[in-house]
Amino acid sequence: MKFLAAAGFDIGRMLIQALGIVVIVFLLARVVPGDVVDLKAIEGDLNTAQQQAMREQLGLDQPLIVQFGQWSWRAVHGDFGESIRFGRPVGDMVRTALPVTLVFAGLSFVLALVLAIGIAVGAVMTGSVVLRSLVDIVNIWSIALPTFCIGVVGILIFSVWLHWLPVVGGMLLPILIIGIDGAGQIVKPLHEELREAATSAHVRTAHAKGLSPWRITVRHLLPTAVPVALALSGLVLAGLIAGTLTMEVLFGLPGLGSLMLNAIQGRDYPVIQAAILVTAIGLVVVNALTDLLHRLIDPRLSR
Amino acid sequence: MNMPALSIRNLVISKGQRRLVDGVSLTLAKGRTLGIIGESGSGKSLTALAITNLLPDGLTIAPTSSIHVDGVALPAHDARAMRALRGAKIAMVFQDPMACLNPFMRVGTQIDEILAKGALARAQRTARIVELLREVDLPDPATLARRYPHELSGGQQQRVMLAMALAGEPDILIADEPTSALDASVQAEIVALLALLQASRQMAMLIITHDLAVAGALAHDLAVMRAGQIVETGPTQAILYAPQHPYTARLVAARRTLVSDTSDASIEGHCLVEVNDVAVDYAGRGLFGRPFRAVQGASLRLERGRTLGLLGESGSGKSTLASAVAGLRPLAEGRIGLLGHEMRPGGPALPQALRRRCQMIFQNPYGALNPRLDIARALSEPLALAGVPAREHAARIVSALRDVGLEPEHAARYPHQLSGGQRQRVCIARALLCEPDVLVCDEVVSALDMTVQVQILQLLKELQLKRGFGMLFIGHDIDVVRWISDEVLVMNKGRIVDRCAAHELGAVARDAYTQRLMAARLSPLAA
Repeated sequence: MKFLAAAGFDIGRMLIQALGIVVIVFLLARVVPGDVVDLKAIEGDLNTAQQQAMREQLGLDQPLIVQFGQWSWRAVHGDFGESIRFGRPVGDMVRTALPVTLVFAGLSFVLALVLAIGIAVGAVMTGSVVLRSLVDIVNIWSIALPTFCIGVVGILIFSVWLHWLPVVGGMLLPILIIGIDGAGQIVKPLHEELREAATSAHVRTAHAKGLSPWRITVRHLLPTAVPVALALSGLVLAGLIAGTLTMEVLFGLPGLGSLMLNAIQGRDYPVIQAAILVTAIGLVVVNALTDLLHRLIDPRLSR
Repeated sequence: MNMPALSIRNLVISKGQRRLVDGVSLTLAKGRTLGIIGESGSGKSLTALAITNLLPDGLTIAPTSSIHVDGVALPAHDARAMRALRGAKIAMVFQDPMACLNPFMRVGTQIDEILAKGALARAQRTARIVELLREVDLPDPATLARRYPHELSGGQQQRVMLAMALAGEPDILIADEPTSALDASVQAEIVALLALLQASRQMAMLIITHDLAVAGALAHDLAVMRAGQIVETGPTQAILYAPQHPYTARLVAARRTLVSDTSDASIEGHCLVEVNDVAVDYAGRGLFGRPFRAVQGASLRLERGRTLGLLGESGSGKSTLASAVAGLRPLAEGRIGLLGHEMRPGGPALPQALRRRCQMIFQNPYGALNPRLDIARALSEPLALAGVPAREHAARIVSALRDVGLEPEHAARYPHQLSGGQRQRVCIARALLCEPDVLVCDEVVSALDMTVQVQILQLLKELQLKRGFGMLFIGHDIDVVRWISDEVLVMNKGRIVDRCAAHELGAVARDAYTQRLMAARLSPLAA
């Protein structure tokens, strides 16, 4: 009962955060000088009267608060409006882009977790110098090398020189790049946490019970590191949003990131708002899930 | 046939060049209990860990050392053989059961891990877990097996540890400070249980402790360790009542000082602290959590030159009450008069000038000193606050250090360069530099070795006689509180359940809870 109440409280808090993100993005998009009518005016030849009429038609002459109210009222009813630039329903555009981003981000995250846990656990269990150095190498890699740099170099080597991978649309390389980047952020703190846990009293007790090293690692050592791994995963997932955005643009993946970037350049307000809304809700869900998992896994929290 | 269960010959454990255990030889006969006693840092725990080859990294056992279990040399270099030995032939129980149990696993599962090494089917193992939990006197074993460690009390946790140790049907049980982290009454129960189990299973038991009372209650034979060496061995009674080695004699004498009669010369002084019907709350968890009432309806009076003892188990609210007296915690109900100032719920905080006149000393002297300040700097802080000009600081600090039995050269040291007892002396010196009228001592000796405890207690008493401050002394050790106090208040579950003159604590028929505390106390070494 208490567990449910706490989880409900968390989700409520997260929803408020999501609303905050949406409001801020709505305002930011309008702080940028020039709107879609200005852009169209530059492209075609709209006279002042036409511009005025277009603004009125799109509702852009209304005060911000009214615009926001109208947009949210429709959004609540599932209507995200039409793209100002392309005239397509925004809902459709997001629906086509979302799966690409989900697959990309999901696979990258799984790779990051597998790499980080594998290296950290291996390093603690075997004490091997190679694995211990790998922890540092992956960590420094993710700090020192920005993903878009690696992306460009990767395209150069594997697509342009070696012709192993397509220049545009291939997912393997971006997943590897983002995955290793995420692993680098998790692996170091996880390794430290595991090393500390290895000297803790309950792990010593497990040794004194004569258990096998494998069982000690899986049942006694790893659970201790779960809270840290979860907290870091939350951060990495949030970072994925920025990471996938640049990678999608660089590798020409038709995902949410590419959609958002194009919309921002075109001042396509309905598209920006819908894409950000989806991302914000995604973040909220991810955070709620990590908290929930933490509660489920640590019996001390699930009272 | 008469092979000893365990024999250690010339055990040397070193860290780099330093020998932490230096030539220890021990023999543990089958069905007997051997106690290793000694103060912290004497190497007794390392000796125990060496037997199961679980020494921390960086410590090495010299090749000339030999450890034989049942006449067979320990297969220290064969990890698989060692694993077969651990938990089955040799089981261990450690201090602080809360830390030793895996918080993520149900206690039944943790016991099952040992049973699963054998050939039993799951259903049989479940039945065996219930049997084991019953053997260590835990109520409702079937339900309890499904609990997590944090849902059990400290005593129950240690019983689970014992059940886990017994699961492998060990021939040798090594118990390293098994009762040190527990409350006095629980401690006695665990000691009784250990004695019972040892006798009923005819195990060979190695008990490692700094507490002579625990050793006296459990061990047939004793070995006294000091600085990595054994200074004396023999039958328990002989060691405790006719110690040969001067070090052993000092250990025993320290314990005995506390049970000697205390003078209760009463100086009629004026009232320093008056606590009237006070309640203290802790904020509840979460947005709508109800506050937790830690202290309820507490009243007391502290007079000049007198010591009031607050006795209770952990969680009884004694420390909370003490910090309320020192003005460190707001009141929920009632009022406290401190040196003429009245504190009420929602009332103004204690004025700065009065804070100086009521000083507090804490349990952990290492935590109470800033590790980055040397002692002179730490001691000059209260002087600066009191407005003493800087040129007088040095002289005042030297005299304060002398007062607490330290030397002027200690002023240049950092906390980590001092021993536990020396650190506590520094904390006392710091408190006394403020010239307090009231001194609140919260478990000030609990973290110290017995001989050091007695020195600190004697120092406090001496200083009180000289300076005449009133002292509120919080503790869980009956002998310590009784020895230093004029009057003792017993706290249980946030309430003061009993109060009496210190020397009457055991004499008259008291409150049921006090009687339970007194009865649970391990029989002290009679003078």
